[in-house]
Amino acid sequence: MEILVAISVGVMTSCGVFLVLRSSTFTVVVGLTLLSYAVNVFLLSMGRLKVGAPAIIDPAAEQYADPLPQALVLTAIVIAFGMTAFVIVLALKARGELGNDHVDGRDFTRNKEEGS
Amino acid sequence: MIESNFALPLAVLLPLVGGLIAALSARYKRSAPVWCAMLATLAVLVLLIPAMPKVFAGETLIQSWVWIPNIGLDFAFRLDGLSLLFTLMILVIGLLVILYTRVYLSENDSPGRFFGCFLLFMSSMLGVVLSENLLLLVVFWEMTSLSSFLLISFWQYREDARQGARMALAITAMGGLALLGGVLLTGEMVGSYNLTEVLAAGDVIRAHPWYVPTLILILLGVFTKSAQFPFHFWLPHAMAAPTPVSAYLHSATMVKAGIFLLARLFPAFSGSHEWLWIVSTIGMLTLLLGAFTALFKHDLKGLLAYSTISHLGLITLLFGLGTQLAAVAAIFHIINHATFKASLFMVVGIIDHESGTRDMRKLNGLLKHMPHVAVLAIIAAAAMAGVPLLNGFLSKEMFFDQAIVASRGSAWALAIPVLATLGAIFSVAYSLRFVHDVFFNGEPVNLPRTPHEPPTSMRIPVDFLVIICLVVGILPALTVGPILAVAVEATLQGSPPPYSLAIWHGFNVPLLMSALALLGGFLVYCVRRHLFAWHEKFLEKIDARFVYNSAIESLQRLATALTRWFDRGSLQHMLGWTLGVAALLGFAGFYSAKAPLFGNRELMKYDPVALIAFGGLILASISTVVLHRKRMISLIMLGVVGLLVSLGFAKLSAPDLALTQLSVEIVTVVLLMLTLFFLPQYSPPPSSSWRIGRDAVWAIGLGCGAAILTLAVLTRDLLPISDYFLKNSVPGGGGKNVVNVILVDFRGYDTLGEIVVLALAGLGIYAMLRDVRLNVSMTDLEGRPWSREFQSPILQNVSQLLFPLIFLIAAFIFLRGHNLPGGGFIAGLIASLAIVLQYLGNGVEWTDARLRIDMHHLIAGGLFFAIGTGLVAMALGYPFLTSAFTYLNWPIVGKFEIASAMMFDLGVFLVVIGSTVMILVQLGKLNLLQAVPSKRPGGDN
Amino acid sequence: MTHWIILPVLMPLVGGLLQLLTQRCGLPAQRVLGLVLTGGLVALSIWVLVMGQSGVTQVYNLGNWPAPFGIVLVLDRLAAMMLLLTSVLAMATLSYASIMRVDGQGPHFHVLFQLQLFGLNGAFLTGDVFNLFVFFEVLLLASYGLVLHGSGAARTRAGLHYVVINLIGSTLFLFAVGALYGAVGTLNIADMAVKVAEAPAERSGLITAAGLLLLMVFGLKAAMFPLYLWLPRAYANTSAPVAALFAIMTKVGLYAIVRVHGTVFAQGAGELAGLHIPWVLGGGLVTLLMAALGVLAARGLREQVAYLALASVATLLVAIGLNRPDSLAAGLYYLIHSTLLTAAFFLLADLIAQNRGTASDQFATPALLPTGKGFGIAFFFAVVALTGIPPLSGFVGKIMILDAAMAHPWRWIVLPGVLVSSFLILIAMARSTSFLFFRPQQAENQTEDVQADDLPHKSAMWCVATLLVAAPLLVVLAGDMMAFTTETVTQLQAVPAYIEAVLRNPLTGGGK
Repeated sequence: MEILVAISVGVMTSCGVFLVLRSSTFTVVVGLTLLSYAVNVFLLSMGRLKVGAPAIIDPAAEQYADPLPQALVLTAIVIAFGMTAFVIVLALKARGELGNDHVDGRDFTRNKEEGS
Repeated sequence: MIESNFALPLAVLLPLVGGLIAALSARYKRSAPVWCAMLATLAVLVLLIPAMPKVFAGETLIQSWVWIPNIGLDFAFRLDGLSLLFTLMILVIGLLVILYTRVYLSENDSPGRFFGCFLLFMSSMLGVVLSENLLLLVVFWEMTSLSSFLLISFWQYREDARQGARMALAITAMGGLALLGGVLLTGEMVGSYNLTEVLAAGDVIRAHPWYVPTLILILLGVFTKSAQFPFHFWLPHAMAAPTPVSAYLHSATMVKAGIFLLARLFPAFSGSHEWLWIVSTIGMLTLLLGAFTALFKHDLKGLLAYSTISHLGLITLLFGLGTQLAAVAAIFHIINHATFKASLFMVVGIIDHESGTRDMRKLNGLLKHMPHVAVLAIIAAAAMAGVPLLNGFLSKEMFFDQAIVASRGSAWALAIPVLATLGAIFSVAYSLRFVHDVFFNGEPVNLPRTPHEPPTSMRIPVDFLVIICLVVGILPALTVGPILAVAVEATLQGSPPPYSLAIWHGFNVPLLMSALALLGGFLVYCVRRHLFAWHEKFLEKIDARFVYNSAIESLQRLATALTRWFDRGSLQHMLGWTLGVAALLGFAGFYSAKAPLFGNRELMKYDPVALIAFGGLILASISTVVLHRKRMISLIMLGVVGLLVSLGFAKLSAPDLALTQLSVEIVTVVLLMLTLFFLPQYSPPPSSSWRIGRDAVWAIGLGCGAAILTLAVLTRDLLPISDYFLKNSVPGGGGKNVVNVILVDFRGYDTLGEIVVLALAGLGIYAMLRDVRLNVSMTDLEGRPWSREFQSPILQNVSQLLFPLIFLIAAFIFLRGHNLPGGGFIAGLIASLAIVLQYLGNGVEWTDARLRIDMHHLIAGGLFFAIGTGLVAMALGYPFLTSAFTYLNWPIVGKFEIASAMMFDLGVFLVVIGSTVMILVQLGKLNLLQAVPSKRPGGDN
Repeated sequence: MTHWIILPVLMPLVGGLLQLLTQRCGLPAQRVLGLVLTGGLVALSIWVLVMGQSGVTQVYNLGNWPAPFGIVLVLDRLAAMMLLLTSVLAMATLSYASIMRVDGQGPHFHVLFQLQLFGLNGAFLTGDVFNLFVFFEVLLLASYGLVLHGSGAARTRAGLHYVVINLIGSTLFLFAVGALYGAVGTLNIADMAVKVAEAPAERSGLITAAGLLLLMVFGLKAAMFPLYLWLPRAYANTSAPVAALFAIMTKVGLYAIVRVHGTVFAQGAGELAGLHIPWVLGGGLVTLLMAALGVLAARGLREQVAYLALASVATLLVAIGLNRPDSLAAGLYYLIHSTLLTAAFFLLADLIAQNRGTASDQFATPALLPTGKGFGIAFFFAVVALTGIPPLSGFVGKIMILDAAMAHPWRWIVLPGVLVSSFLILIAMARSTSFLFFRPQQAENQTEDVQADDLPHKSAMWCVATLLVAAPLLVVLAGDMMAFTTETVTQLQAVPAYIEAVLRNPLTGGGK
């Protein structure tokens, strides 16, 4: 189970990184969103994995999941949401002012030789 | 000691203050700065008088104030024979130069600026010679470079002046930095920066392993400042300065600063082989090079510049020889050179001023035009050549004498006297040329102006200096005897060796060498025509400046190339580096510590649902990448990933996260879809395959890193602090849902920050979208125009019907939040969805008309509630955000627990609604605004 | 319970709220309000600094929960110093923005400004790693808004890069914090120091990796090689007051390194002690050289100043990397100097650029001389101070750092590194000076004399001047300043006392 979670974190990170390295703003934003998912799952798992033991006080429950990472993830999700919203709108602004949606405001024709 | 004499710092500060006044006074009266300068200089001289007797009695005055004790940088000054000698030179010659400059400056030169810089320089120069603390000395040292930069570039409109100034600054400042390094090392070796300790620690220094690097660094400072080979070339180019500046800086004072340091540190650093070889070799080279080149300069100032270089070389050589008598000769020559060279520069200034040129090929037979000046020049030049009965002769005799002494050392040390004579021959030759070309040698060749005698105040300084040359030359013992004695004593830090200042030592080898020099010089001058021709042919081209320039240029090119390559303004480039560093550091972390990668905690068995969730997660993410060029589809895949993530959360016993993730997911996707409307539907043509490959490597590497990190943690047991939260949630926080209690109570401060972030996002987006102009194709990919009608009747009714319902759900979720999954954030998102639905369903006008709330106020209100909750606690004497709760019986609901934290949660709720709606509606309105196709091209604002 | 610790955070937060509510009252009102608030913050910070002089580490348990479970604010000399520095800087930049009417170029300037201060102060005061993350996000999002304030293609492009790179940074921050929590199970800095010290050896790899990741995140904020690429363009293209205010932003990263790594990986951490030090020192030296070359290669004055700012950060990294009490003390002195002077130079560069009309701040264009009163002196002053030439504060700070380096095994690398870079910078600045201020021809035909002496510029020059005064003041008071910073460092390095203060702080009414 842990291995599966680890792998999925890894895969999401890889995909996120790959998309972030693309040259058009929209794709970059999608990549960033993927990365935030990855880190959220990672954060949650830092409290170790538990199934069917929500941290809701209940006399019947014999064990609880670690609530602290969950709280952190909640905060992280919210912040990530704000950031995503901001950056996607910034992408719009960039398209408006640079005339295209290349991350460096370059024309795609010139992109190949100029891009790193 | 301090009360018995005046405070030495005054000597440094007075000119500084004078400079300020001079600079400011200029705008009121043109002649004011001159008087300021004179007064300041005179004041220092007068203040100095009471201290002199003590110094002549061989005392050393040291006055010290603590400045930065941590590094032993004291505000400490020292007045002994050596510093007195230099102080007098600086002040007296300074005074003469000021007098001289009064008439020299033309109408469009600003006297305020000139004398401001001039006095700034004087004060820093005095600081150099009076410092007791080496760091302090470096401070003043660099200030001389700085002020000379300003003085050389005084005529800013002249390209050569600007270049010369920059070159001088670059070279001397480089030396200054090297000197700083040397001083720091010295301080570390000796344990103090104060000269008293340093001079006493000569043996320690010479024995220390750092001796050689330190020596080299300090000598770099000395050689650059005193224009020693191979750094000599800045001096001739500094001649673009006004002549008074040259007379002051480049003959008497600044270039002597290096020599001064040599004398200052003589006891501490001299007496080693390294010292002997480096210093004397450089000195000899400079002496010869200078003397030789001077002969071929047609520009009077050029000639003087190179002759200065050669005389400085001579002095350096003498110090390099390292014997006590050599030091005596060196100091004596410092005095003499200052007098005759300064006067010669002033003469050149006069000639330039009165005839309009400095070219010796034009200047001829000025004797009849300006006889008085001619006499002065002839005497000074004779002193420079070392003609008997003049001061130059005496020190040169001493020099020859020392050369012979040195030659006894080894077989080929015999070269020293020979080369010395050679140098002397050339100096005689160029002195002769100076006199003969300018004042005799036929008639002047079409001069810009017809020359005549200069105004008196320009001549008097020269008179004065030339008289000194004569008097010292004839009666050395009576005139310079005492000051020389104390200066030598201070330099050697011990009783000076026996030496005689007599003119006549009988027939001996030095006399013979002098005779040879005079004769040889005459002969060389006679054959000058051939020499010039030969020089034109072979050596004209060689100029160290070209080396310097190309060095600077290539440095510039290197800097530009490197910077443009690294800082190329490409996002992908910087992301590549950033992520690369992340991978590197993660790897380095695991590698450096020799610990196992994974622990040995037994793992959880697979759970079918989770298996599906995470399996699907992996597939969905991959497909997002694969399809990333079809944006809409990849966006949908992203949504799928989000849903699966929330499923995973739910499975991993985090219901709150599941709910939050779900609602955020929906809003995010809506948001991205809205923006996708304005962005190209398709990605740009694919990037080159090697790039894809490289990025894939990056991606996979980091993915593995993340996976390993996760597993490294998950295979080890948790040492948590969480039990505390579980224990105190109900009794302390009054809520069963621990996660929510953490959010609003244990770590409510985080949540406060979090909602501020959200608010900022809303406001920032609002600000951005205000002036965004986009031209979007009003058609979809197949060229069909977008549907014009904004709301379908069905959606309209449904949304209006749903509105209260959704709000009820939101309220419910909000209320249960403290005890069961839910809470302000989720509720807020749901509520905002309700509102957004209205916008979608009924259009902007309709909704705006009914929904009369400015989202700004909603945000503000939310923040107000959140902060208010905290402040109430403070008012009650508890820390910010302390919560309290009580149970009350509601009629229907029954026993209901109400916590102050819920007010806080309400704040969260409101901020979430405010920001989310603001963001979405702003985008929606933009959308609407663009529906009227705009004529504006894309990036024109 | 001493409430005044939290006031420096609350004041700008409430201030931001007020600014948000007073939107309708128009810019003049907002300006006055902003200046009043910031002035109040300055006064408050001074008071806090005085209170902090006791040398006792003050702790504030938010929500009245004991550490490490609740979040704590920790105030020691260093934090107090940073608070004061920030507020002074804010005052100067805000007045400049108000005078030059920069705040009118887009909505919400004043709200963003106050919340920026909220984020900064929160970051300086917090004693909790995750809370540090939250406040990093606050100050980042506020800074995004400010960077993009106004408009222009170059600004938007640089802003986009700045935002994306920092989003990556935030993600990495979460990875690092998460890993640390997973390894030692706590978020409180003091508690983390304890737990790391007693962590089983087989976890050292994990902890080191997490620690270095965290270092990288802070390095990104502090603009350490090779993570500084966002800085030059972002600073060169944003509006002057924002660039000036950002002189403190890089320092936040440095502060975080000193605070978090300096505490968690202090001597007590055994084999993990100082795991960040070699990276910081090495990175600092490389950054220094690259920055010097950048100064040499700059095409315009703003870009050049941005690289100068980078150079000063690099010097600070070196001071931290030397990791000796005296080097840190010198570093703090240099931090004050570089923050104020860099800000002054950014503002001055803006005035000059406006004054040169179409030539703006470019070196390439045919030289147009700024004709404003006092430009020449102010410029020369700033150059001398920032280049580190005697007799101004830059030089004093530099020699103090070098003096500390003399006793460090790396001296033979640090000494040449610092000296060479200063030399390069010197050459470059000499060229800019002669380019910008030396008349190419004697006849002074000023083609474009753009509102040289009109009122806003005159009074704006006063903002610059007040910041510039710091240079000579710091020199004259160097002794006392060093005494202060030395005490600060002593308190900073007394980690056990810090831990004791945080974990044993009594709760109000004995807690719940």
